[in-house]
Amino acid sequence: MDYVNDLVTILPELILAALVLVIITVDLFLPRTLKWLLTPLTVGGLVLAGAACVVVWDVNEEVYAGFYVVDDLSVFFKAATIVVGILSTLFAPSYLQARRIPLGEFNTILVTALIGMCVLASGSDLVTIFLGLELMTMPSYLLAGLHKTDRYSNEGGLKYFLLGSFASAIFLFGVAWTYGLTGVTNVGEVAAALEGGLNPGLLVAIGFLTVGATFKIAAVPFHYWTPDAYQGAPTPITGFLSVGPKLGAFALLVRIFAEALAPVRAEWLGLFLVLTVLTMTVGNVVALTQVNVKRMLAYSSIAHTGYIMAGLAAFANAADDGAAAQGIESILFYVLGYGVMNIAAFAVVGMLQRDTRRYGGLNSFAGLASRAPLHAAAMAILMLSLTGIPPTVGFFAKLYVLLAAVEAGLAWLAVIIVLNAALAAFYYLRVIVYMYMRDPEDEPAELDRSPSGSIALAISVVGVLALGIFPGAVLALLEVSAASLF
Amino acid sequence: MLDGLPLLSLIVFTPAIGALLLVFVPGTAHRAIRWIALIAALVTFGLSVMLVGYDPAGAEFQFREDVPWIEAFGMRYTLGVDGMSALMVLLTTVLSAVAIFYSWEPIRVRVKEYYVALLLLMVGMLGVFVALDLFVFYIFWEISLIPMYLIIGIWGGPRRIYATVKFVIYTLVGSLLMLVAILAVAIAHGNETGTFTFSYEALRGFAYADTLQALAFVAFFLAFAIKVPMWPFHTWLPDAHVEAPTAGSIILAGVLLKLGGYGFLRFSIPLLPDAAVTFAPIIIGLALVAIIYGGLVAMVQPDMKKLVAYSSVSHMGFVMLGAFVFNEQGLQGAIYQMISHGVTTGALFLLVGVIYEQTHDRQIAHMGGLNARVPGFAAMFGLFTFASIGLPGLSGFVGEFLVILGAFRYHALVAAVAMVVVIISAVYMLWMFQRAFFTVPSDWMQRYWPKLRDMNRSEWIALSPLIFLVVALGVYPAPVLEMLAAPVDRIIQAVTDTGMTGLGPLW
Repeated sequence: MDYVNDLVTILPELILAALVLVIITVDLFLPRTLKWLLTPLTVGGLVLAGAACVVVWDVNEEVYAGFYVVDDLSVFFKAATIVVGILSTLFAPSYLQARRIPLGEFNTILVTALIGMCVLASGSDLVTIFLGLELMTMPSYLLAGLHKTDRYSNEGGLKYFLLGSFASAIFLFGVAWTYGLTGVTNVGEVAAALEGGLNPGLLVAIGFLTVGATFKIAAVPFHYWTPDAYQGAPTPITGFLSVGPKLGAFALLVRIFAEALAPVRAEWLGLFLVLTVLTMTVGNVVALTQVNVKRMLAYSSIAHTGYIMAGLAAFANAADDGAAAQGIESILFYVLGYGVMNIAAFAVVGMLQRDTRRYGGLNSFAGLASRAPLHAAAMAILMLSLTGIPPTVGFFAKLYVLLAAVEAGLAWLAVIIVLNAALAAFYYLRVIVYMYMRDPEDEPAELDRSPSGSIALAISVVGVLALGIFPGAVLALLEVSAASLF
Repeated sequence: MLDGLPLLSLIVFTPAIGALLLVFVPGTAHRAIRWIALIAALVTFGLSVMLVGYDPAGAEFQFREDVPWIEAFGMRYTLGVDGMSALMVLLTTVLSAVAIFYSWEPIRVRVKEYYVALLLLMVGMLGVFVALDLFVFYIFWEISLIPMYLIIGIWGGPRRIYATVKFVIYTLVGSLLMLVAILAVAIAHGNETGTFTFSYEALRGFAYADTLQALAFVAFFLAFAIKVPMWPFHTWLPDAHVEAPTAGSIILAGVLLKLGGYGFLRFSIPLLPDAAVTFAPIIIGLALVAIIYGGLVAMVQPDMKKLVAYSSVSHMGFVMLGAFVFNEQGLQGAIYQMISHGVTTGALFLLVGVIYEQTHDRQIAHMGGLNARVPGFAAMFGLFTFASIGLPGLSGFVGEFLVILGAFRYHALVAAVAMVVVIISAVYMLWMFQRAFFTVPSDWMQRYWPKLRDMNRSEWIALSPLIFLVVALGVYPAPVLEMLAAPVDRIIQAVTDTGMTGLGPLW
């Protein structure tokens, strides 16, 4: 009865796959006036998948002949994925409907991408990982270009597709190279093959894998596709793109660098440190100069990538397992917290773009506090969280990374992170300046107050504050998750 | 009698409860909003008065509360007060109540948000003074930042946005570096002892490596020195003060600057005593520069508020001087000066606000002859001017005298330099007083002359606690000094225990 057991372990993925089919079918028969039902349907399915994550928690099994692993690390990533999915589903409908983008298509593609992210989290073989990666990014390209009649969306989608597939190819090349030199593709076996040390050929493989993977997380200098793709995509989708694929890519990064390449961590650490520092600094400096909030958030998401990468650097530099685990835990906490706050921040930008001619300029935020005090307060909390001011999840996430870095003997990196955070404060707080301290424009942007968006915003803000004040509950889960690597 | 009552938590979070209540009051119900805010502030003050029950001969930290918070990181919600923090809490609650009461008339737009911000600011400030866990301390430290950012940015003057962004960025750089230092210290301690904790009592008295001490001290120094502000990190202060609304200035000068001074005395020196000894001469040098520079620049200010702001730089220099001479008089004087400066400067800003509300101008040259028209106002301005100069019998004298005494024991030359400034401060304060209140009214003032009114009842009420304090602290300092004796001894103890040898060679 092994195969039944195997099926149970992939319950979340199965539910998501079924959900895709259900959405497609139901969408066919729903009259136009009832299309909104797709949103509760999708959310319901996602919640079910989330419940399935609880079922597979603590299973810790390798299934399907070692191609797939259901450990707590992967389950954590899956749960985070589903949280991101639920928020995206709730934020999108009103924006999409205003632009006549079919909701059914969006939900289908979104859930497909989520499956890809789940596979990516659980892939324990370079082949499965690549499969998951493609299953995640293909729908993402579609999502970026979903607004067919908008040329920015087209441009963004195309750029994303071209550069993304290029990166996938490079990554695949790295996989092939690894296989050629070690003769294995299983992550654990690759790690075992590397125990003895590194030969120059593998260095090339590591190079390709690094380039491919850092492309996907949009690390500098492989970030050029991000701002255009992010700005062009429909705003709530941008929120998803800035978080979802990144989450998946970090799952991949952890799997490859912290597991397969862990024995040779000293070899990639140097390269990684350079990328980390570059990523956060370039992201922040360029974000400073943006007057379009959507674009600013795009660059700021690059900066956040840098902070998360610091967790991996801490892992690599750590003297003992405890400190190394802390590095991984900090990544997990950061992607979760970042996911919630960033998606919600993009959603608020989207809510101000109800008028389809508006492109998310800073001006549309002017005087928002007097027109929509609750939304403005929510956005202010999100901005403070992105800055890293307590008591928000953004603060705690940053603290975790700092702690891991200092613990791993990278205090100088921690200093660079905090200097970056201070720099970032300038542009995040500028949004608050506009909302609270400027008078509105002559024709202020109308705010979208659709119930699903407002509910999601409320959930996000409560989450941002709750995780910031009482992170203890999640920390226990993190510890267990990260422990699967050691 | 109060066993089991979490008094400190009540003090810290009563304003938060007030702020939460305000959220549910409609924004147009100005009267209700003001009353709720005032009652929250008064209740907080009432609770803080119970801290007078602090027993100077008893345990170091009293009214302790200790609850595990984030156990994975060894963070605990630990609160407690000694004599120094109890006094700071009292100063905060008094000045906050005054600021909230005074804002009654001047604040007419976004009243609700304003009081929410003020109350949250109280939470942050009070939390800093009672926190005994470095992490909790840091959280409250940061929480105090944002409300002030909003208060200056929304209800401030014409250049408010520039001023408030400068204020935030300056402070944030310092405090984030401090966060790294806190982590580094906690980790160093944790690796050595095996117990990972942020508890202040556990972390102090631990022999940290010299390099760590030096770097951590510099990080703490930046955070606190920016807040104090010490020369040359003071440039945000005049901007912030000039643009802040009156109540914002009262809190800013009265309490927020004290966070910096308190940070040095509570954290920098006892945690990193070797580094403190090593860096003391540099800090004393900077303090002297601040004292003289602040005084000289204050002398040439045409704007009343800016003058008082620069005088703060000078007075806070005294605090730093007293803190780093490491003797009883100096330290007692430093803390006393913090309290006295809070009261007098708070009052001076309030008084400047009284005239500004009527003329919307603060240029000293635009005043003149006010004494004839508004004698009550003039008398009060005179009182606090003298207190600021340090006239015996008023609060300023005690602190300055003690600091100079302490400085003399450190080095006669240092005391001599500090002494000169007492004269400079007399020059700028009295000169301002003379130009504004005597001589003939300026042409500008003539226009307002018929409408000019003396202080009204609510302004008197707002000022009365400060009048009481400035006289009481000047005439009878003994109870305050008694409360300070034990904390000061502990600071000196922490420093002398190291043998006063300072750090070894670092590189």
